[in-house]
Amino acid sequence: MSVEAAPLAWPQEEAPQEKLMLDPRPPEEMNEMVLNAMKKTGWRYWTVVGGLALLVLIGLVGAWGYQILEGMGVAGIRRPVYWGVYITNFVFWIGISHSGTFVSAILRVFRAEFRRPFTRAAELMTSFALVVAGMYPLIHLGRTWRFYWMIPYPNQRQLWPNFHSPLEWDMLAIFTYLVGSTIYLYLPLIPDLAMARDRSTGWRRRLYRLLALGWRGTEAEWHHLKTAINIFAFAIIPVMFSVHTIVAWDFGMTMTPGWHSSIFGPYFVVGAIFSGVSAVVMVLVIVRKAMKLDYFLRPEHFDALGKIVLVFSFAWTYFFFADYLTEWYGGEAVSRELLTLQAHGPVAPLWYLMLITNIVIPWLTLWNRRVRTSPRLMFFITFSINVGMYIERYIIVAGNLTRNRLPFDWGVYNPSLVEILISIGSLSTFILLYALATRLLPLIPVWEVQEGQFAHSLRRIGRSLVPSITELD
Amino acid sequence: MDETVVLMALFRDITPVPDMLDRLRDHGVGEQNMVVLSGIPYPTRILGRPMVWERLPLISLSGALVGLLIGLFLNIGTPLLYPVHVGGQPLIPIPPTLVLTYELTMMGLIVSTFLGVLWESTFPSFGPKYHHPAIADGRIGIVFRCLHSREAEIRALLEENGAEEVMMPEERVL
Repeated sequence: MSVEAAPLAWPQEEAPQEKLMLDPRPPEEMNEMVLNAMKKTGWRYWTVVGGLALLVLIGLVGAWGYQILEGMGVAGIRRPVYWGVYITNFVFWIGISHSGTFVSAILRVFRAEFRRPFTRAAELMTSFALVVAGMYPLIHLGRTWRFYWMIPYPNQRQLWPNFHSPLEWDMLAIFTYLVGSTIYLYLPLIPDLAMARDRSTGWRRRLYRLLALGWRGTEAEWHHLKTAINIFAFAIIPVMFSVHTIVAWDFGMTMTPGWHSSIFGPYFVVGAIFSGVSAVVMVLVIVRKAMKLDYFLRPEHFDALGKIVLVFSFAWTYFFFADYLTEWYGGEAVSRELLTLQAHGPVAPLWYLMLITNIVIPWLTLWNRRVRTSPRLMFFITFSINVGMYIERYIIVAGNLTRNRLPFDWGVYNPSLVEILISIGSLSTFILLYALATRLLPLIPVWEVQEGQFAHSLRRIGRSLVPSITELD
Repeated sequence: MDETVVLMALFRDITPVPDMLDRLRDHGVGEQNMVVLSGIPYPTRILGRPMVWERLPLISLSGALVGLLIGLFLNIGTPLLYPVHVGGQPLIPIPPTLVLTYELTMMGLIVSTFLGVLWESTFPSFGPKYHHPAIADGRIGIVFRCLHSREAEIRALLEENGAEEVMMPEERVL
């Protein structure tokens, strides 16, 4: 009996050229693809930008301006619910900001090769999400113009702020993270800005020339840049963890039922990464379609991100259950009241929807590779996760405050039109900034993709061709 | 004294570049008179070039130290300058001091790393420099200064060994 030798085969289901790293195209073609995507702005794009600008005007100039003129009475926050949609939005956007750092820095540190084409798209999200998040303490402050009281400088009356207050922790952590993530976005952008500079004319050339700082691509420039990116990748991760931990401590440091929990720090961080990575998937699906970046953003990337989302869904569930069980088993009257409110009260529909979107949907779908490699399905799944994560924050912030240890002081909270308009305005600000950035900055880190493709090859082992990565550094 | 001339050789592939650098050295081109331009980072050991001296980690650590000192001043100094007594806490509570000092230390590290990379790379620097747009298109360029008397010989050497083009580059305002 003769046995026929199996032909030389690719071990996976897909062909090697389906992997971006194993499907190199000439660098000039890739540069052109990225630049053309940036320069195309049709009527649809300008209609979207115009619509968003209008919403920003209504929300941030109109509604916020009205609140500044009339006072905080126009917002729906009333005793006992002093933290409402504004703080919910603040926590939500801080969570979204974790996307860039997690996707870029952690995957860079661990040399996850699939990160290469979408690190910048994620880093952009971090910076813009932080800008939006940073607005909310100012909006929530009411007397926005008194913000400078937080800054420790010796004023005329020698009054220093209480520098040890958790509000100072917040301000410093967010500011540090904003500075760090913006620089971390900018540094790897420099070589691509230089590439854009060499291929542009007019105002674009002037802009890229200024931003590229005179980059040529010498060995010394690359060496310093790579060293700096490495330092940043390691430095920004603990800053990222500290930011959402400190936001969680804003709640944990109080004696408020439902908030005073030592698990809140890691619980918030895990939730932030869960919603942040989900938001990255949503953005990637949109830019892939709108900017025709199919060559760079492939099903393999959604597959990898889908696995991360699934893992963080498990992690979030673990923390959620640990927090829930502790409250439930403790059996304190007010905790029981809060849990009853979530299970049977007016918050129940939201609470169950959160469980469906954050647990049921990801668990039932994301184990399947076909689902993970479908951008459209991934968009709907990650969108629902972000709806669920917003609800989670809303329940923690506003829901928990409706019940406290003094039953005569219980209340309800309904966001006012001003709060809703400001929320829509801030969401529009994020989308508008992102939409403008996609036409101004190379959204794909071309040099990182080319570096990855240079390092990848197919190696024959026995009867199989397997991808192989050369360690260049 | 013989005049010198600046040449740029463009290669499509990295493979011949380290050998060509050796040959240029053999032809009297000093290490300080040549530079390799590329669209992706090639470590100096791949190119066979001397290690670039790196002060960036030192600058970053110095920045972190400055951040730490500022953090300590703000956490310990400001309560001493204007005591704000918070119920149940000492004037200088250690746990919040740790949180804030940590953030300021990281801020110092981040800002100094950024300033350090600008300093080390002498950015921004828009003045005329030898550059070619094809570098971002995947070409690898060797820019070097050699004796005018050896120009023809070196040109021939480079062209025979895989250089796509050897030219006298223009200094371009970047």
